[in-house]
Amino acid sequence: MATRATPGRVKGETLHDGFLRHRNFRWLKAALILSFVIILGYALIDVEPRHNGGSWYGYALGTIGALLILWLTVLGVRKRAMTPGRWSLKAWTSAHVYLGLSLIVIATLHAGFQFGWNVHTLAYGLMMLVILSGMFGIFVYATLPVALSNNREEMTQSQMLDAIRAIDRQLHDAAQPLVHAQAALVQACLDDDPFGGGIVRRLSGRYPGCATRLAQSEIRRVTALRPDTGVDPLERVDALLERKEAMLARLRRHLQLKALLEVWLYIHVPVTFALIAALSAHIISVFFYW
Amino acid sequence: MTFLIRHISTTADGRKIVRPTEIARDSITVGRAAENGIHLPDLAVTPEHARIEIVDNRRITVVATGGLPFEVDGRSVQRADIDSMKGAELRIGGHRLTVGQEDGKVTIAVERVEALSEASEDKDEARAFSLRGKLPGKRVSAWGFAILVLLAFLAVPIWSYASYKNVKERPERFHADESWSSGPLSLAHKSLEGDCQACHTQAFVAVRDTACIACHTDVHDHADPARLMQAKGEPGIGGALLTGVAAMFNRPEGRCVDCHTEHEGAGPMQPTADKFCTSCHDGLNARLTDATIEDATDFGKAHPQFRPAIMTVPGAHPKFQRISLDRKPTEDSGLKFPHKLHLSRTGGVARMAQTMKADHGFGDALACKDCHTPTADGVRFQPVNMEKDCAMCHSLAFEEIGGTLRTLRHGEPEQVIADLRAYYRSTGPSHPIALGGMARRRPGQYAQGQLYHAYFGAAAERPALAGDAIRAVFSKGGACYDCHVIAPPPSPISDNWRVLPVHQTMRYMHKGWFSHDAHKTETCESCHAAPKSDRASDLLLPGIETCRTCHGGPKAKADIPSGCALCHSYHADEGAPWVAKQGVAGQKITMNFQPMSVQAIDKH
Repeated sequence: MATRATPGRVKGETLHDGFLRHRNFRWLKAALILSFVIILGYALIDVEPRHNGGSWYGYALGTIGALLILWLTVLGVRKRAMTPGRWSLKAWTSAHVYLGLSLIVIATLHAGFQFGWNVHTLAYGLMMLVILSGMFGIFVYATLPVALSNNREEMTQSQMLDAIRAIDRQLHDAAQPLVHAQAALVQACLDDDPFGGGIVRRLSGRYPGCATRLAQSEIRRVTALRPDTGVDPLERVDALLERKEAMLARLRRHLQLKALLEVWLYIHVPVTFALIAALSAHIISVFFYW
Repeated sequence: MTFLIRHISTTADGRKIVRPTEIARDSITVGRAAENGIHLPDLAVTPEHARIEIVDNRRITVVATGGLPFEVDGRSVQRADIDSMKGAELRIGGHRLTVGQEDGKVTIAVERVEALSEASEDKDEARAFSLRGKLPGKRVSAWGFAILVLLAFLAVPIWSYASYKNVKERPERFHADESWSSGPLSLAHKSLEGDCQACHTQAFVAVRDTACIACHTDVHDHADPARLMQAKGEPGIGGALLTGVAAMFNRPEGRCVDCHTEHEGAGPMQPTADKFCTSCHDGLNARLTDATIEDATDFGKAHPQFRPAIMTVPGAHPKFQRISLDRKPTEDSGLKFPHKLHLSRTGGVARMAQTMKADHGFGDALACKDCHTPTADGVRFQPVNMEKDCAMCHSLAFEEIGGTLRTLRHGEPEQVIADLRAYYRSTGPSHPIALGGMARRRPGQYAQGQLYHAYFGAAAERPALAGDAIRAVFSKGGACYDCHVIAPPPSPISDNWRVLPVHQTMRYMHKGWFSHDAHKTETCESCHAAPKSDRASDLLLPGIETCRTCHGGPKAKADIPSGCALCHSYHADEGAPWVAKQGVAGQKITMNFQPMSVQAIDKH
């Protein structure tokens, strides 16, 4: 059976094509060719006394690199306007990723492998930090969404939060008959912010001293040797705490995966601006002390 | 008295529901337990938390009964007396109890003010589930980092430049513009490390020669600048483009720093590249038609044969001329010295050397080192010295007195002549005893064998013998003649024998540098064909082919890839070229190599 081209779609493009494999890795190929040509030039062109940013080849690579950095930064503006077609955002992102990676080659050869404690190497280091954070971003974008989806099990974020709220309400009611010491444990569990903790807790997913876990273990110490009569409010609290703990585990895993998906941008974007500042200082200083 | 309790609760849409209850008692309890007058379903409240008692128609007393305090108008207390007419606000756990009086009743409005749990509080979902608030915002940190970098690495360095403008020497401490340095300075300029403005005198102006000349006062040009420009080849398309761009950015050509690149790392300064030499010397003769030097590019492939300065006119006022070794030039040093004879492993010289082994350290035959002594720096050889290097065999002794040998004075023919005359004159013939005493004798007995002949005959012969001896010394077979070129006296009666001056050339190649010390791993014979030379006039200098067995161009696969600067200096002087100096420094005194600063040199 003949297939009919879908109107409005470019031939050969499928909707499932991510930005990485866009147009059969067109920009990967472009970046590889660019890097290869530059490496070849570095090897064949004999600049005296040695390759560095001050040779004509170094200046040429530096100009290419600086313009490329500025173009790569424009993605931040460009991504706010999604368009299809040849200059689609996907194509732009694909080019951003692969040309950004080719900067490693361009900038390293621009420097001629000369590094030191100066503004020039600072710009290089910041650029590498941006690239590495971008590589991390691509890695997590490629691997984590599956884990995120598996963990959610079709629950939305609001549903997760509502589930915890429901358990909290039940806990609150169930704990009313408890003596004060036990009630305080449950109260601490209720007072514990499921979104609390700093960036380290978010990224590691470890929450030592979790009040829910503490409350449960303390209550179990009391209930351990008692028979389950079915009327003991502690048993009900225990069961609720267990449910809350399971729900918290899912929420925390969700938060961890989301944090990993987000955190690289907190480096990628601000360091890009630091890089542009360092790049300006680098260029101005070179011409200042010319 | 009566309490009017108003329980206030809030619906999901924010509407408030008030449920009033009247309790006609003087005292009610507050707590989590259901039997309390005011029941607070709040885990932060103890089952019996407090008791409220009415004292009179205005005043009430609140006492904590469960051990935990409560708050009155923000203060945490165990007991409080309250004027209900004035009112007060109690806080127990997550509940607020507002006390007042209405129609003679004490009103207590009870309202839960805290959410049941942390999760139950209103959450901005987008914020709660993201990292916002956990990390500084992207916008804030982007601006922060950018401003920090611009301040530290642009504004402050420019400020330090501005504050030391027109200052001759900066104080020794950290200056912010050092962060602009692209690499450490070479050892020679190490003292300028913190003083950027020593060279970068003006902002946005490339380093000019005036900055170099400020310290390097005695540097001379390679050639007349006008001729230098003329000698330079026309650049290709790429070269023209580069020159154009350089001119656009105010980077003139031909500055010191074109060759002497800095910021290339600590240690000795990098040698200048051959390209800077060959940009003129490749095809130089086509552009500078009156040049006396030949074109050269790569030592291995395109370098002319050596043209040593050879003495073409010997004598007291010698003349020198550069002649290519290809023309097999000879040089008359004034000596008669066949190297072949002296270096032969057989024959008289070798035999003599063997007999003198113990005294002079000879081997089974003479070797080069037995006569040639290197100079202190090892670069060249001292002139051969007759007394030291030849006289052990070529003795000038003529008389032994009391065990001491009297020798003719070398290098002073007049003294030789005088000494010989003195020798034959100084002691007259012994006076025959027959001629002594007072005895009277007949004169006339002068013939050979007769009485007077023994004395007067001998006395008469003395001067004539001296003349013969002098002639013998200066003629074939004589001590002087064997080695020197002799000019005989203008007339037979004259004593004016002259020895032509000997010239031993110490350095043949003045435009290039050769150090014997650097070639110690080779034998003398591997370059100098001395064992085959049977004439003193043979010039035993090796040609370029010999050098090329080891040395090639800088990019060649030769044993020793060699750039121009290995043998040649741009700012040529009598000393070794810079690279050769570095080589020696590197090999010999690496550990103690502490170059003086330019200022220190100036002081010396």
